[in-house]
Amino acid sequence: MRAKNNYLAATFITPTMLVLAVLAFVPTIYAINISLQDRELSGSDANYVGLSNFIQLFSDRRFLNAAFVSLKWELVTVSATMIIAVLLAIMMFEALSPRLRNALSLVFLMPVLLPRVSAAYVWKFAFHPLFGLATYPYKALTGQPLDLLSNPNTALATVALVDAWQWALFFAVIIVKLLETLPPQPFEAAKLDHARTWEIYAYVAIPMLKAPLISLTFVKMIESLRAFDLIYVMTRGGPGITTETLDMYAFSQGFIESGKISYASSMAVLMMIVTTVAFTILWKRVRT
Amino acid sequence: MAKISCSNLKKSYGSVEIVRDFNLEVDDHEFVVFLGPSGCGKSTILRMIAGLEDISGGTVAIGGAVVNDLLPRDRNVAMVFQNYALYPHMSVFDNIAFGLRRMKVSTAEIDRRVQDVSAILGLGPYLLRHPTQLSGGQQQRVAIARAMIKTPQVFLFDEPLSNLDAKLRNHMRVEIARLHKRLETTTIYVTHDQLEAMTLGDRIVLLNGGVIEQVGTPAEIYERPRTLFVAGFIGTPNMNLISVTISDGGDRWRATSGALSFAFVRERFDLKDGQKAVLGVRPSNFVEAAPSATDNVVEGTVDLVEYMGDAALLDVAPRSGSSDARQIAVLVEAHRSPRPGAAIRLTFDEGDVHLFDERTGLSLLKPRSN
Repeated sequence: MRAKNNYLAATFITPTMLVLAVLAFVPTIYAINISLQDRELSGSDANYVGLSNFIQLFSDRRFLNAAFVSLKWELVTVSATMIIAVLLAIMMFEALSPRLRNALSLVFLMPVLLPRVSAAYVWKFAFHPLFGLATYPYKALTGQPLDLLSNPNTALATVALVDAWQWALFFAVIIVKLLETLPPQPFEAAKLDHARTWEIYAYVAIPMLKAPLISLTFVKMIESLRAFDLIYVMTRGGPGITTETLDMYAFSQGFIESGKISYASSMAVLMMIVTTVAFTILWKRVRT
Repeated sequence: MAKISCSNLKKSYGSVEIVRDFNLEVDDHEFVVFLGPSGCGKSTILRMIAGLEDISGGTVAIGGAVVNDLLPRDRNVAMVFQNYALYPHMSVFDNIAFGLRRMKVSTAEIDRRVQDVSAILGLGPYLLRHPTQLSGGQQQRVAIARAMIKTPQVFLFDEPLSNLDAKLRNHMRVEIARLHKRLETTTIYVTHDQLEAMTLGDRIVLLNGGVIEQVGTPAEIYERPRTLFVAGFIGTPNMNLISVTISDGGDRWRATSGALSFAFVRERFDLKDGQKAVLGVRPSNFVEAAPSATDNVVEGTVDLVEYMGDAALLDVAPRSGSSDARQIAVLVEAHRSPRPGAAIRLTFDEGDVHLFDERTGLSLLKPRSN
């Protein structure tokens, strides 16, 4: 009976898994193959050059900058999202009635439902130095235009704000729902145990949600790696290369500036290896 | 240590009144049990005293000071919950020390007090474990330790033993009694288990539908139930209740129900001729009637015998003309138990009879002169 069940399950799963495997592995293997050559978009011939693309990367200052920007982007967006989400969720849970909370949750879900490109355009206009809604109060008060996206010091943070707007509100909704599922008695015990409201959350509620919060953090870390479209629309990596992340630099090396498709592939392959290793280590450490 | 006074305490959710005009004084060092069926408001009152529930009306005072507007942490009370309510992510030590840490007690002092308390409750070997690694009884002991360590003025227990199995419940009941003897902290204990109430309480507050049915020592409540509800609620197996009509039989009151007829001395009860009443006799108060006895005799047939070890519970069908005659429960020593189907003649001591007004449910016993 059991063997028959397994057979049936395998029959249904195999075709899907095959399609998925092809979709996942063919481009990956292809990218690895290309990264070992010196192929360019302009020419049809190419030779295998071993690891020279990879070696070249480490003396490329623009690559090192992009790696640093990517790391910064990862740290800023993940921590901002998680901190804002947790604080918002606690505020909603403390101050609002369940009904109001549900209504607000619906509103908070909207940003993440927007396609990333539309969100990027909406906010790009909002941050427009002359006509933008977000910069208007500053202009009205000081008479000076405020151009956050063209300022190397604020560009990355401004884009990160949009990212947090989409994801922190969404995560706040999830965390509110998680808080609602917690048993109320430990909170009541803590109230009698001389804990102030913030202490109840810091020492009881949030630690009780440790596992789901870690999972959410991982989801956001993976998601932040794929912020290409948002950054591309809002700053195109600029001003200069201050917001140029690895995927954006790879894209411009491969398709925009020089057509060095092999060089770009080597970057993609390196990113894949680094993130796989980093995530595996983090995941293992957190779970123990 | 402190007194607790509740005056005119009320609790309502919208138009639904859960607690109506609750008045009670709990003395210093006293162990008071709130007893009642589920939904009678006993836990709600406890939670209002703790500050976990808003008070809709009236006042709660602890140690002479009204605490209505104080936060739970400022009331100097400690509470033990039915489902333990331990902090699941903390070790036993951290659970017990949590309150002291919030009060900014020094680390050395916390260490010392946790050691003391865990020694009293036998938790020493488990301090580094997490709550999920403990049995239910051990978890409840951690909860009690967590409450004790703050040396509160008042202990509140909210059905602390309900989640434990029967054997452990007996064991923990004795431990709680011993602990109270040692600490003498004013305690309010909520339960729906009359055995816990009878054994632990200095006084029992019996609640029904948000109002007090009776307040008294366990003996008072058992021996002189003030209302029909109390009589039916207290005592296992339940008291036999028989609807009767009172008639004036000259030197004695007579009570009749179909073919059953009873008679009592006039001094004990406050009765009127023709009054509808409910007569109550506990199953353990029945004895076999002497052949010569004529008054207060119930003749019948044993329907069913439930063997319970020391005792046996007989289900007796009284021989009665009327069709509404109810089965009578009789508790006898197991080795003297008759066989099912046997005829039996029962009687009881006049002094063991309770009578309640059928309309008001109040006891018709005359108040004791002393």
